[in-house]
Amino acid sequence: MTSLADAIPSWPLIATRHLELRKRRGLMIVVGVVTIAPTLLILGLRLAFHLFDPAHYGPAGYPGQFATMASLQAGLGLIVAIVVGATAGTSDLNDGMFRHLVITGRSRLALYLARIPAGLAILLPAVALAFTMLCLVTSYESVPQPAAVVMNDNVSIPAHLGQAQLQTWARQHPRQAAVAFQSPAGITGPRSVSGGDTHYADYLTNEVTQFEPPVNEMAKVGLWVELEVGIGFLVGLGLGSLTGQRAVSSILLLGFELIVTPILASVAIPYFLDGQRLDFGVAMDQLRPVWLVASTDVGGLGNVVFGGQGAARIPPMPTWAMISVIAGWIVVWSALGAWRMMTRDA
Amino acid sequence: MSAMNVIDAQALAPPARAVGGPAGGAGLHNGGVFVLALLVLVGGYFAVTRIGRGRRSAPKDETWVPREPPPERPTPSPPSEPPGATAVAPATAAPATVAPVPRRRPAVSFDRPAAGWAVEAHGLTKRFGANVAVNGVELCVPRGSAFGYLGPNGAGKTTLIRTLLGLTRADGGTMSLLGFPVPAERKQALARVGAIVDEPRFHQHLTGRDNLRLLAAARGGGASDRIESSLQRVGLTQRAGDKVASYSMGMRQRLGVASCLLGEPELLILDEPMNGLDPAGMHEMRTMITSLADEGRTVVLSSHLLDEVERTCDALAIVDRGRIIRQGPIDELIRTAGASSLQVDCADPALAARLIDEAGIAAGTSRTDAGLTITLPAGASRELIADVNRRLVTAGIPVYGLQEVRASLEDWFLSVTTRLGEQP
Repeated sequence: MTSLADAIPSWPLIATRHLELRKRRGLMIVVGVVTIAPTLLILGLRLAFHLFDPAHYGPAGYPGQFATMASLQAGLGLIVAIVVGATAGTSDLNDGMFRHLVITGRSRLALYLARIPAGLAILLPAVALAFTMLCLVTSYESVPQPAAVVMNDNVSIPAHLGQAQLQTWARQHPRQAAVAFQSPAGITGPRSVSGGDTHYADYLTNEVTQFEPPVNEMAKVGLWVELEVGIGFLVGLGLGSLTGQRAVSSILLLGFELIVTPILASVAIPYFLDGQRLDFGVAMDQLRPVWLVASTDVGGLGNVVFGGQGAARIPPMPTWAMISVIAGWIVVWSALGAWRMMTRDA
Repeated sequence: MSAMNVIDAQALAPPARAVGGPAGGAGLHNGGVFVLALLVLVGGYFAVTRIGRGRRSAPKDETWVPREPPPERPTPSPPSEPPGATAVAPATAAPATVAPVPRRRPAVSFDRPAAGWAVEAHGLTKRFGANVAVNGVELCVPRGSAFGYLGPNGAGKTTLIRTLLGLTRADGGTMSLLGFPVPAERKQALARVGAIVDEPRFHQHLTGRDNLRLLAAARGGGASDRIESSLQRVGLTQRAGDKVASYSMGMRQRLGVASCLLGEPELLILDEPMNGLDPAGMHEMRTMITSLADEGRTVVLSSHLLDEVERTCDALAIVDRGRIIRQGPIDELIRTAGASSLQVDCADPALAARLIDEAGIAAGTSRTDAGLTITLPAGASRELIADVNRRLVTAGIPVYGLQEVRASLEDWFLSVTTRLGEQP
């Protein structure tokens, strides 16, 4: 029976697992090309064009680009995370090292767990690097920020207001609010985003398309992107360990995420709504930060940890449900992978 | 043995990449600064992950430089030497002497040793569906012995080893390694065991040294400190910085042995270590195995190569169709199982044959071109040979030579496995 202490991977074991992964030249090139190269290429070209011909090319950063690029990073990051996870989960088996490792007497659970920090130590910095580039360009190479959010009929509302602050402002400026939101009754009554009142959503949408995100919103988006990548890796690792086949695991997960999830996130299937919500991609989409949601027009708004709620074409999930689904995917796939690792004939 | 000529190849660090260029002029737009900053960031990332690391330029010499065997160890018998000992009796009445087969280590005892068995299995069974790969195996390997596990291909040798090491679950029976019951105390047992099972395979994209680092990290303890000594022991120091993908089969076998040595094992289990080796490689591997056994380690050598087992091991078990047919010291097994004969070169073979037949001390006699051949009864001792010599000399028959011809391990192996194969 494996004791808890035996199951904890040692630092040298994690370091050598990391070494094994990062010495895979082809895989590292894929990681670099998929996570860093698009951001580097797009932003680099925009910076270069603006550098050499500022009269015709505006600054590299502009409102909306941040969300587009961050969404791209999340999508591509998820793909590469699945591939890296499946590789980490199958490399020992495919290379014939699993038997050697088991003969050392080391807990098989520890061998499995050591791959998690080792793989994440490759993926997360790469994604963070790309995201940092995006944040730097957005913060320092963007168009000048307006002083206020411009609504209908050029009504200006102070920027960066919360929902309550917006209502307070509306009470203080009822006529401007009525014009701004084209709502003669004003917006000071009880509000519910999911109930159809989209005034705050309209405000946020205008703000996101006119402003670059503040630092705290950038941090939220960055964390969400890293979470997406981390989950992709863990699921890939678990499925890879379970099947022992890298290609099969990668194709299955990529097919699910690129074909099935978009369908589940965009169409409310009668009598299958809860089933749709069990897809971690749907849950992650609903957890999408507001700065990504509004500007990319993929869903409505919410007030959960990340401040947003995508996949609004299906009824929203409670926060606890989103977190449960995401945690469930992590736990279930990790448990399946670890179980197979512990019971597999070497 | 050739002189040692090990040259430690130093890891050649790749030249540092020059990143970036002259700083932008004051007239440059801020975007230029960002371009440079991004390049530095990406370059730094690639440098950290060492994607662009150059190949080592270590010499490609595959010279195998095994450790010289301990001086006290006798040289193994040459391949051409017959397994039976040869003794030439003087032409006079001097009693004939038969030299014993030289063994490298003290005689192996299968009486239960005080220190316990290195490997002990009782009723061990492993099935794959209807196929019984290991069938109620009763196996005892004395500590400190070089033990051969001999059987034809498909006999269940590798499956037994995998079961012993906990690589697959047993369907029945009990087993222990170095006194530790497996699988209950498998971790403690494996900490003292080094093993190669099947063909040694490693991460192809890693160097030999990096593969050992990975295994040492998994093993823990002071294994990391033994990487270099293990590489040196198997003669891989010069190529340790090369990727395993460039290794020959022999080098991979040696790397496998090096991985076994990381844990300073008391018990080494080597599964077909001669597979894929050329004659020189087999000789080197044999030398290394015997030297490891001479250090007091127990070596279990699984093989289908009769000659290798006979020349390397003290004791053996013969397995066929998942069952152990015989086990014990090699000399004893051959002596008790195979009929030996005595070639007699004397002045009057006909008279000698009649004399021996009348005495009733032999299983039979026959005349050959070389003289007289006396078939010895099973289990005959060396005293019988002296008795034959004494009777001939006493009868006035000049004896020019006596040579015992014993059944080889191969003869015996084929006979017992054939008998088994004839069973329904």
